[in-house]
Formats: sequence, structure tokens, C-alpha cells
Amino acid sequence: MFALPRLAKRLSALAVIAASFAAPALPALAQDAEPILLTVLDEEGTVLAEFTLADLEAFPVAEIDTTTNWTDGMQEFTGVPLQILVDAVAPDAKALDLTAINDYAVTIPRDGWDQDYPILAYRNHGQTMSVREKGPLWIVYPYDVSSAYRTDVIHFRSVWQLDRLRVID
Amino acid sequence: MSPSLKTSGAALWQRPMAAIVTLALCVALVAGTAWTVLFEIERLTSSKADGLQWSLSQADVEFLNFRLQLQAAQEAVEDGSAPDVVQRALRDTRLRFDVFYSRMNTVDFSEPFDSIEREQALTIPRGEVVAFLDRTIPLIDGDDAKLAAALPAIAEDAAATGVAVRAFSLAALDAFVRVADANEASLIRKLSLIAAVLFAFIAGLSLIALVLMRLTREAREHAELAEGRANRMHTIVETSLDAIVVTDDLGVIRDYNSAAERIFGYRRDEAIGRRVRDILMTNDQADELQNVVRNVMKARERGDHILHPHEVIAVDRFGRRFPAEVSFDRAADDEHLYVSFVRDISLRKAQEEMITQARDRALAGERSKSEFLAVMSHEMRTPLNGLLGSMQLLRDHELNETQSELLDLMQGSGEHLLGLVNDVLDLAKFEAGKMKAESRPFSVSRLMDGVVESTATLASSNGNDLSWSWVGPASDRLTGDSRKIRQILLNLVSNAAKFTRGGGIDIEVEMLGAERNQIEFRVIDSGIGIAEGDIERIFNDFETLDSSYARQAGGTGLGLGIVRRLAKVMDAELGAESEPGDGSLFWIRIPVSEAAAQDEAVGSESQAPAAVPMEVLLVEDNEINRFIAREMLESDGHTVTEAVDGQAGVEWANAQRFDVILMDISMPVMDGAEAACRIRAGNGASADVPIVALTAHALPEEIERFRAVGISQTLPKPIDRKVLARCLNDIVGGRLSGPGAEPQEADVAAPLIDRDQIETLLAGTGVETGRKLLERFTAETDGCIAALVSGPGDRSEIARLAHACAGTCGTFGLTALRRALADIETKTKRNQDVAQDELAALEPLWRDSLDQLRAIDKRLAVA
Repeated sequence: MFALPRLAKRLSALAVIAASFAAPALPALAQDAEPILLTVLDEEGTVLAEFTLADLEAFPVAEIDTTTNWTDGMQEFTGVPLQILVDAVAPDAKALDLTAINDYAVTIPRDGWDQDYPILAYRNHGQTMSVREKGPLWIVYPYDVSSAYRTDVIHFRSVWQLDRLRVID
Repeated sequence: MSPSLKTSGAALWQRPMAAIVTLALCVALVAGTAWTVLFEIERLTSSKADGLQWSLSQADVEFLNFRLQLQAAQEAVEDGSAPDVVQRALRDTRLRFDVFYSRMNTVDFSEPFDSIEREQALTIPRGEVVAFLDRTIPLIDGDDAKLAAALPAIAEDAAATGVAVRAFSLAALDAFVRVADANEASLIRKLSLIAAVLFAFIAGLSLIALVLMRLTREAREHAELAEGRANRMHTIVETSLDAIVVTDDLGVIRDYNSAAERIFGYRRDEAIGRRVRDILMTNDQADELQNVVRNVMKARERGDHILHPHEVIAVDRFGRRFPAEVSFDRAADDEHLYVSFVRDISLRKAQEEMITQARDRALAGERSKSEFLAVMSHEMRTPLNGLLGSMQLLRDHELNETQSELLDLMQGSGEHLLGLVNDVLDLAKFEAGKMKAESRPFSVSRLMDGVVESTATLASSNGNDLSWSWVGPASDRLTGDSRKIRQILLNLVSNAAKFTRGGGIDIEVEMLGAERNQIEFRVIDSGIGIAEGDIERIFNDFETLDSSYARQAGGTGLGLGIVRRLAKVMDAELGAESEPGDGSLFWIRIPVSEAAAQDEAVGSESQAPAAVPMEVLLVEDNEINRFIAREMLESDGHTVTEAVDGQAGVEWANAQRFDVILMDISMPVMDGAEAACRIRAGNGASADVPIVALTAHALPEEIERFRAVGISQTLPKPIDRKVLARCLNDIVGGRLSGPGAEPQEADVAAPLIDRDQIETLLAGTGVETGRKLLERFTAETDGCIAALVSGPGDRSEIARLAHACAGTCGTFGLTALRRALADIETKTKRNQDVAQDELAALEPLWRDSLDQLRAIDKRLAVA
């Protein structure tokens, strides 16, 4: 299982093709030009995988159009469902610790995500998000769809400026 | 239903309404509250305040982090660290700046912050922070060298801004706390409201429960009351003597009481479910009853509340048919149910039948008695007439004194006998109810003179003085039934004369009353008187008091009985007072009216007949009567042809022209009426000659019948010479003519005016119109009479004038004038000449009539 990211680094050329198979997309090799947006760690702090924007975009794409408590007007988020990402790096994860650049952290248990939501958004209005715009990554729920997505818990789990993800087995 | 029950009924009706309204209010309250609660839940669950507090505290932290990183980067640059270390330090500095920037941005967008940010305590520090960020961005976004150079300046700037950041977050926190406080207060208010609503709801429910409880109790009470009533009703129904049958509108029996079981013989369980027409009555009867029910129900719907029993023939179980009385009505609570009460009335019917039969028998007996009396009297009068007539004729011969005295005696006895027979005949007439009071003008003095004259002989034979006198102001001309008054007085006086010897009989006459509408006659004698105890009896029929005088006086004992009856016919009061030994006083008070004007007719009674020789056909079967009549006629110079029966009379009349036909009514072979009819119907020589009936029993309706067959006048038998002579005289004068002549009174000429007719006219038109009519009538009649008197010559012209005038005269009750005109018209129609004298006589007759008409009725006098 832990061999997978290393294998992926070598097979970066096949990433796009691989994305269409059942096997999770493989993160591309970290290049100097392309900054790493997300680092996935295990409980001991070992890096399990690192994802650039291109790596993330290689996953199946999900979109959420919604308003949020922290922005003005309708937002158009584009990202990858959290479950797909988790399945790709740690299918047996029982919980996830999400930590932001500002060191905000929250734990989402296994039942906190499903096949659709939340997503790990990497674009808003089709543009990548700067740190000032709560980028680069943002856990987003479809807040407008139901009051179930407007609870405190959901709000606390909507981590922005996300850059680290620790898998808890 | 009693008023109190009605009131509680209304309250009962209102209470469920109140309950419903309360319930609706509760539901509305709960719904409203639920909605509020749901909204609140929604608001609470959609947490928006969430991260604000965190964000505010983080703003401080992140600003501090930025400053620390700034300091670290500054140190790295100043210490001349390795380029990659400097580069990383600068990168981290940028990152921390971005994080802080983002934080401030977040705070800006936080929704709860919208209400906070307007406060000045907040906007000033915030403005400083934003200004700092705006100032710094170009430096941060510059290349590493530029940023490294700017680090000390940024650090200094950041140190200065730190106060503003702190102030901003504190102010925001304070504002937020106040908002949170307000929210909390609002929440508490809403919760209190919910509590209040719940309380109201519970109160409402309690109220409803209470109302329902009361309703239940009342319903139970009503049920008990209704049960009690039903029990009572059951008792009433079961104790009724009449059968009570409840049916539906198809006639099927639905209920049936014990009386019905008894009357009809069917048990209740046998009767219920069967149709009335199948067991209780025949189809015909049931159909009829159904019709009656339908009609009565329709009538009731129209508001005609009739509850008359209907009679049917009912049938019982054993086939007995019996009359029954049915009364019915629709049940009040179900219009398809009918309640009928049936009463067996066979017993009552049988009793009624018996009573009817008894009454019929009694009536028949009474009738045959009256008939017997009438026939007997009639049969007795015929020979008596023979005797009296013969005696009258005997006086025409020379008689010696003894013969003359004997004749007087015979005549006296005969007349007495005739009086008795007449009494009985009168009684028979009374019994037949055929006596009516007449109303004609008469002269009181003439009447009294006549009475005194008629009874003078009787009175003087007992040595009594007889006289009459007025008490108080005299009133000679009255309207009333003079014949009956005369008969009463004759009876009373002759009665007095019988019981008085050598005394006096006074008749006092007095007008009574302020309006002088009553006349009292008092017959006072000085005779033997009557015992007090007998006074009551004396007016009874056949009553003769047991005294030697009474036996001596003789008589039928009918006299006072007839007086009583005559008085009753005239609505008169009658009485007697007496002291035995001192004489008696009989009084009678008769309602009359004063006749205001001179009435010519009153005087005609004593006019002497002027004999004009005539050809007379006398039809009479009785030889004696025929002989007497012939003698009377011939002694007055008339020529008489005799016929012995109706048949012979008709043959004579066809063969020869007579001036008048005297016709007996009761004859064998062909009676007088039949003969008269045939004479009129035939084409014989005397077909239009006046026919005078001779009859002893002329009742008013018989006279009518005679007129119908063409008999002009009826003379009573026995024939009075004077009356006969006057009648013939009238015929000569044209006052009586053939068929179609106006009916005339038997022995008193027509009055000038018929008051009743005037009253009728005035009642119909009113006085005002009546007066106008009279004016017009006067003008017209003046012209008409003048034309007739001048003698138009042309018969048809006379007929036209007379006819037109007669019609209006009749309307105004000018009876005499109308008759005169009618006679003239009749003559012209028969192509007879009208004498000039006859026409001339119309003028004074018209004047007199008009005068009297005005005098009689003051209301018309103004005209």
C-alpha cells in the first residue's frame, strides 16, 4: 500500500490514462516548477503522498455551486470528492486529520464523507485559489442544498487553506 | 316543549360552537407556534455565527504569527544566512501575510459581522488594518530582494498596526457578544411565547373537555327526559279507548295499540306490517280515506287547520262491518308517518238512527194531525157556508118577526160555529209554520172601531159596556199587521165579554217608547177575574178554567192560544194581570212604525162597490155554494153561467166570452188550478179573461201557484158579498186583468209606496246617490206621465211609455203607480183600448206617490 505513491512517481506519464481505470490516480512527480498543494501523512508523520494541482485534476472532477458563510455571492467550486482521494491513498482510513496553513486542524471520522461530499476544491470560478483567497485547497460541502450542510460540525470541517492530511487507521 | 327547555336547547347548540371555536383557536396557536419553532430550529441549525469568534481570536494569533515570521525573516537577512534559508524565511513571511489577509477577509464576509461592522468602534481600527494590508501588499508581492529590503519597514508598520488589530478584534468581540445577547433574548422571548401558547392550548383543551362533559351530561338528561315522555306517551296510547293506528304513506301499519286490538280483533303482531286496506277496511273505503287524507294534508299546508273526523265503514277480523270515525294527522317528526284515531261509532249510529226514526214518526203524526184539522175545518166550513149564505139570502124575502128572530139566532149560532172552525184552521196554519207578519199602513181608529163594532153584540148580550180610548197622544197611522192585531183584539174582547156580566170592557191604546215604535193595547174588564195560579195557564191551547162561567161561556179554549201565537209571529209581548172578582187586564205590546203620510189604501176598505153588469162564469162543484154565489151575483145585477166542475168550466170558457171567471179550487174531475191552466193555454173565447180563485185554504205559496197558472186573484171562502163586489168592480175598472197581471193582495189594495224597496235602494246606493237618482227619476217620470196623460193615441207609444215608466217606479217602490202603468201596458199589448180617464188618473197618483215618498223618507225630502 505504501509503495503506491513511489510507484506513481515513476509512472507519472501514465497518470491521465490511469485515472480512467478503477485504480486511483497517481500523483505526479514533484517538480520544482509545480508546487505541492497537499501532503498526505500517516499517523507517524510519514509522507504517504504528495499532490500537485495537476495530480488532483487527474482525479474525476466534481463541481459544487453554492454560497458560503465566508464569501460574498455564489461560488463555483471545482475539486475531487474526498472519498476518491482517500480511496486512492488510504482506503482503510478510519478518520482524517485535516490541517490548514494557518494550523487550523479538524478531524473528520470515516462517516464524515461519502462518495459525493465533501470535495477537495482546488478551483473557484475556474481559477486556482491563492492563500489570500483561502486556497490552495478547501474542503467544501453543498451548503445550499440542505440544512444538514449548514450545521456547526459541517462548518468546522470546511477547512480552507488546507495543505496537510493525516490518515488515521 | 316548555320555554326553559327551548333555552337550554339554544345553549346546547351554542356550546358546541364555542368548543369548535376554541379548538380552532388552539389549533391555530399550535400551528403558529410550531412554525415559529421550526423556523427557529432551522435558524439555529444553520449556524452562521460559528467561526466568527474563532476567526476574531485567530486574527490576533495570525497577525502575531506574521510579525514573528517577519522578525525571523529580518533576522535571517541581517545575519546573512544562506540564500535558501532567506528564501524560505521570505516565503513563510508571504504565507503568514496571506493567512492574515485571508482572515481579515473572512471576518469581513461573515454574515453576523454585517450588523457589527457598522459600529464606529469597529470601523476605525478595521480601516487601519485594511490600510496596513493595502500598504504592505506591493512589498509582499515584490521580488525577494525588494521584500528583504522592506522587512524592517514592514515590521515597524506591523508593530504600529498591532494595536489596531487588537482593538478591532476586541470591538468585534464586544459587538458580537451584544448580538449574541440579543439573539439569546429573542430566543428566550420565543420560548416564553411557546410556553404561553402551550398553556393556552392546555387551557383550551380543558375548556373543551369541560364543555364535552357538560354536553354529555345534558344529552344523558335529555335522553332520560325523552324516555320518561315516551313512557308517558305509551301509557296514553295504551289507555286510549280509541284505536290508534300508525301507518306509513303506503298505508302499512307501523304501530297499533291495545284498543285497536280490541276493536279490530287483530293482535298487534298480526296487524303490524300489513296494509290497512287489507285488513281494516275495504278497498273502496281505503281509497276514499286516502283521498280525504290527501286533501286535508293539502289544506293544512295552506294553513287551513281542520281536524274534522271522517267516517268510514271499518271491518274487523270476524268480518263485522261497523261505522267508525277516523281523525288523523301526520307525525310531527316524520312526514311519512300518519297517526290515526279510530273510534267505533256503531252504537252512537244506532242511537242516532233510533232518534231520527222517533222524530220522523213524531213529525209525521204532527203533520197528519195538522192535515186532519185543516181538512176537517175545510169540510165543515163548506156546509156551514151553505147555511150562512142561505140565511143571508133568506133575509131578502119577507119574514115575520118570529122568523126574523129565529133567523138571527140561527145566524148567530152559525157564525159562532164558523168562528170555532176558523180558530182550529188558524191553529193548523200556525202548526204548519205558515203564518208570517205583514207590514202595511193602517188606521188605528178604524181598526178599533171595527173591533168594537164586531164585538158590540157579544158584549151587549151580557149587559156589558164596550168602548176604546187613547191613553196619551194618539197616533192613528201606523204600519203593522192590522189583520193579526184585529184578530188578537177580537179574541181578547170576546174573551172578556164571555167572563163579564153587566160590567164594562175598556180597550186602552197607548204608544210606547221614546221613538213611539211600540203600541200597547189593554183590554180591561170588570169580570170574574182569574186566580193568580191560573194566569200562567190561560194562554195554553184548549185551556178552559174550571168554573161555571167558563162552562157557560163555552168555546174551544183555543182563543188565547191563538192570541199567543199571533203575538209571537209579530214579535209582540203579551201578558195578563188579574184579581179574582175585580176583573182582568190583558195587554199586548206590538212593534210598529208610524206611517207618516196619508195612505189612500187605508180608506179603500169601506168603499161601496159600484155594480157594473158583467157576464160571469161560475165554476163550482158544491151545489149550495154555487147557489149562494149565483144569488149574490145576480142580486148585484150580473149574469151568471154555471159549470159544475173544472172540465165543464174549460168547455164553457172555450165556447163563450165572459167578463170574469170565478173558479173553485177543490173540485172533482179537474181542479180549479188545472182548469185555469187549460183555459189560459187554449185558444178559446175566454182565454184571456180574468180568473178569480175561490178557496177556503189559500196559503201564500198556493196563491203563488195559482198566479203561475194564470189566476189573477184569490178570494177566501166563505164568499163575502162586499169583497166579491169590490173584486168584480176592480176588474171592471181594469185594475185586475187577465194573465200576466201583477199580483194583488186579496183584500187590501196596493199601498202607494213599498218602504222595503226604498230601504233596499238606499242601502245599495247610499243616501247621496239615492237623492240624485230620485231627482233624475222625478224629472223623467214627470215627462213620461205628462206624455201619457196628453194621450199619445198610438197604442204602441203608450205601451212604450208605460213600460219604461213602470220599471223605474218599481225601483223606487211606487207600487200603486207601477201597477197602474203595468195594467195600461198589458191592455195595449192585448190590443185593448185604454180609456182616457185611466191615463188621466195617472197624474194625481204620481203626485201623491211622490209626496208620500218624500214624506216617508226625510233623507230624500231635500230633493
